[in-house]
Amino acid sequence: MVQLRPRASRVPPSAMVDEGQPASEEEEEAEHGLLLGQPSSGAAAEPLEEDDEEGDDEFDDEAPEELTFASAQAEAREEERRVRESVRRDKTLLKEKRKRREELFIEQKKRKLLPDNILEKLTTAEQTNIKKSSGKLKEANLQKENEDCDKGSDSKKAKVQKVQSVGQNKSYLALRLKDQDLRDSRQQAAKAFVQNSLYGPGTNRTTVNKFLSLENKRLPVKKAAAQFLNNAWGTQKKQNAKRFKRRWMVRKMKTSKK
Amino acid sequence: MGEFKVHRVRFFNYVPSGIRCVAYNNQSNRLAVSRTDGTVEIYNLSANYFQEKFFPGHESRATEALCWAKGQRLFSGGLNGEIIEYDLQALNIKYAMDAFGGPIWSMAVSPCGSQLLVGCEDGSVKLFQITPDKIQFERNFDRQKRSAVHKMLVDRQYMGVSKRKCIIWGVAFLSDGTVISVDSAGKVQFWDSATGTLVKNHLIANADVQSIAVSDQEDSFVVGTAEGTVFHFQLVSVTSNSSEKQWVRTKPFQHHTHDVRAVAHSPTALISGGTDTHLVIRPLMEKVEVKNYDAALRKITFPHRRLISCSKKRHLLLFQFAHHLELWRLGSTVATGKNGDTLPLSKDADHLLHLKTKGPENIICSCISPCGSWIAYSTTSRFFLYRLNYEHDNISLQRVSKMPAFLRSALQILFSEDSTKLFVASNQGSLHIIRLLEGSFKHLHTFQPQSGTVESMCLLAISPDGNWLAASGTSAGVHVYNIKHLKLHCTVPAYNFPVTALAIAPNTNNLVIAHSDQQVFEYSIPDKQYTEWSRTIQKQGFHYLWLQRDTPITHISFHPKRPMHILLHDAYMFCIIDKSLPLPNDKTLLYNPLPPTNESDVIRRRTAHAFKISKIYKPLLFMDLLDERTLVAVERPLDDIIAQLPPPIKKKKFGT
Repeated sequence: MVQLRPRASRVPPSAMVDEGQPASEEEEEAEHGLLLGQPSSGAAAEPLEEDDEEGDDEFDDEAPEELTFASAQAEAREEERRVRESVRRDKTLLKEKRKRREELFIEQKKRKLLPDNILEKLTTAEQTNIKKSSGKLKEANLQKENEDCDKGSDSKKAKVQKVQSVGQNKSYLALRLKDQDLRDSRQQAAKAFVQNSLYGPGTNRTTVNKFLSLENKRLPVKKAAAQFLNNAWGTQKKQNAKRFKRRWMVRKMKTSKK
Repeated sequence: MGEFKVHRVRFFNYVPSGIRCVAYNNQSNRLAVSRTDGTVEIYNLSANYFQEKFFPGHESRATEALCWAKGQRLFSGGLNGEIIEYDLQALNIKYAMDAFGGPIWSMAVSPCGSQLLVGCEDGSVKLFQITPDKIQFERNFDRQKRSAVHKMLVDRQYMGVSKRKCIIWGVAFLSDGTVISVDSAGKVQFWDSATGTLVKNHLIANADVQSIAVSDQEDSFVVGTAEGTVFHFQLVSVTSNSSEKQWVRTKPFQHHTHDVRAVAHSPTALISGGTDTHLVIRPLMEKVEVKNYDAALRKITFPHRRLISCSKKRHLLLFQFAHHLELWRLGSTVATGKNGDTLPLSKDADHLLHLKTKGPENIICSCISPCGSWIAYSTTSRFFLYRLNYEHDNISLQRVSKMPAFLRSALQILFSEDSTKLFVASNQGSLHIIRLLEGSFKHLHTFQPQSGTVESMCLLAISPDGNWLAASGTSAGVHVYNIKHLKLHCTVPAYNFPVTALAIAPNTNNLVIAHSDQQVFEYSIPDKQYTEWSRTIQKQGFHYLWLQRDTPITHISFHPKRPMHILLHDAYMFCIIDKSLPLPNDKTLLYNPLPPTNESDVIRRRTAHAFKISKIYKPLLFMDLLDERTLVAVERPLDDIIAQLPPPIKKKKFGT
């Protein structure tokens, strides 16, 4: 059996255990047992490496310090706690900020809203409307929707409902903005559908210029296209050329003056 | 006649919007046409196809369906989910009711005319009951139940079907259970509704077939394709005396260049309209009884109202577009030349002002004062008045704020000759007179309509001396008001065709009225009767070629130094009527160009007649006399309009 010196340096201790002498295995095992018994967490890996480097310097004569591991672990734990604490503090700070902003918005909204008396008028007018139109289905639909709105909205003041008429005043109409957005988006989608099916990909469309020039091409004396020149072609190039020419002229003037 | 320098203007970039829906009303022989910008126009087909009413457009209104209900009520449904009823008397929107189903794709009226069906985006078909005031929601059908209930209803719906994304653009339901569908693959398909199977398939085009309309008798229908072709299908018996009939494609018509998005079938004619903005009415020869000029094709391209106003003193032109106004100053020249020469401009025409309107509504009417210092225009909800200041070559604009609310929704605006008064005809039938002061205004007077009628005043004319104001409505005669005493002076007897142009001559104060059947009357306001010349020409009658003109006369003006001359124009000609010359009878040549100078005087005197017509400038949108020796003619070549339309379908022609 070859007696191999326990090789220190880069090789991790677990490897050393494998390559080490079988005779001193148990001792080493006992020594490294402590090391091996550690959970293979990152925190534990660090001090092992530190150990290695120390071992490098002192080469084979000094045993790795066992105490450093525990303290290192404690240190690592401390760090972790610190990081967690800071994150928690950030979160709470953000929360505070958001709360303050929300309150500010509510304040502003309260200021912006219609005064209470008009809102009351609106809701009472709606009630009378609902009472009057109990027979008609359409109004019943409206009523249902209004009731849903009532239940759904957070506060009476936050959203104003759609009403047909406000008592005597027909000068304004209260609208719910969400409905309008929904309606707009549906209208946009419908328009886009029609546009796509008529002019989108897959349709066999040509330009108006080509369409008008078709006749010119079939005449006995062939004429040019309806719009022969495309003035929009190469605008960037033309602009650059113009600018260059201007600068060149200025330079020429300067040198010729000298 | 005299020599004139003519300002030939082609910088009015007028592009009408495409036609989206067409609906024909049998009882009154009227056609409702809705355009892509939301405007709805009503054409009176028996009054020589004259556009007698219109509802201005709105940006959010994308009408997809239009239909007439019992009692001359017009409804439209659009992509904003609302059903709109139009008030044909007061020329405004009666109400807009939300159908709560998302965008509305189709609409139909039941045969009795009292129920309205609306097909919505969410797949439901809603039934509304038409009550005298409003419409009332009755029922809601799901997709499955729909077919069981309704026959003889024409439903146009978009349904995405199967793999290659074939869109069905139109569906028609006949009373014998046949369903006809037209789709984007160019097919017209006949289905049997009882068994749900395809009976016949006609492939008629390479592009989409976009619209279908069935006649009332259900023996013919018409379809329009995206290539601009309109096909006529008829139910024809298989052999000459068999009772079995089948649908046969009989006639193709190619009158459009772009997609035909709307067709209608009247008892005697096929009506089509599309993206190329023409409205084409093709009378069917077998249905027309009297084969005269009435049976000819009618193509309505140019507006029947004036969109241009002119300030004679400063040589300014105001162009009215849907959402903005443009002010141009005419160029000038110092050169002289002979008849027919083109004179070079020493100063080009100048684009002075581009005035955009706020809001989504279209501009209804606009006007510039003769001195050029005031511009006024009106939309449905607001009225705008601006004061212009000219310093050297610069122009500054100042808005007059706080216009009174009763001025909005004006149908016609007119300034007096001395620019001190503003006349506004509102759609409620009242006429307002406003005095204009430096930077502000004062409401002088309002002429209320006669009790019981809400007659919207469509045309106004003011006499150059400022004493008389003539206003025409749609059915009553022309009212003449005395401005000095602020009361009604007289009423010209009503004529059964609508008025297309009005003007009052200087000095003589003769009111010249042009009607849609090409009749021209001259009425003397101080004498309260028709003039001698007018009676003579009514007795003799106009030349038959004059009466066969397609387009209405839109503007009448006068020469300041020659009281015997009347200058009028329509889209394809302008004419100077010389009242001192003899009238032509049916045998004389109406359009006689200037005879060569070496002809003897006798011949020239024999062929000369009162109507001097020139067709040099066409298509004319506006023509006026700026001063004694200058005319301005605003032309709009058709090619320029076509060049700005959306792309058409590609057509492959051999050799290109």
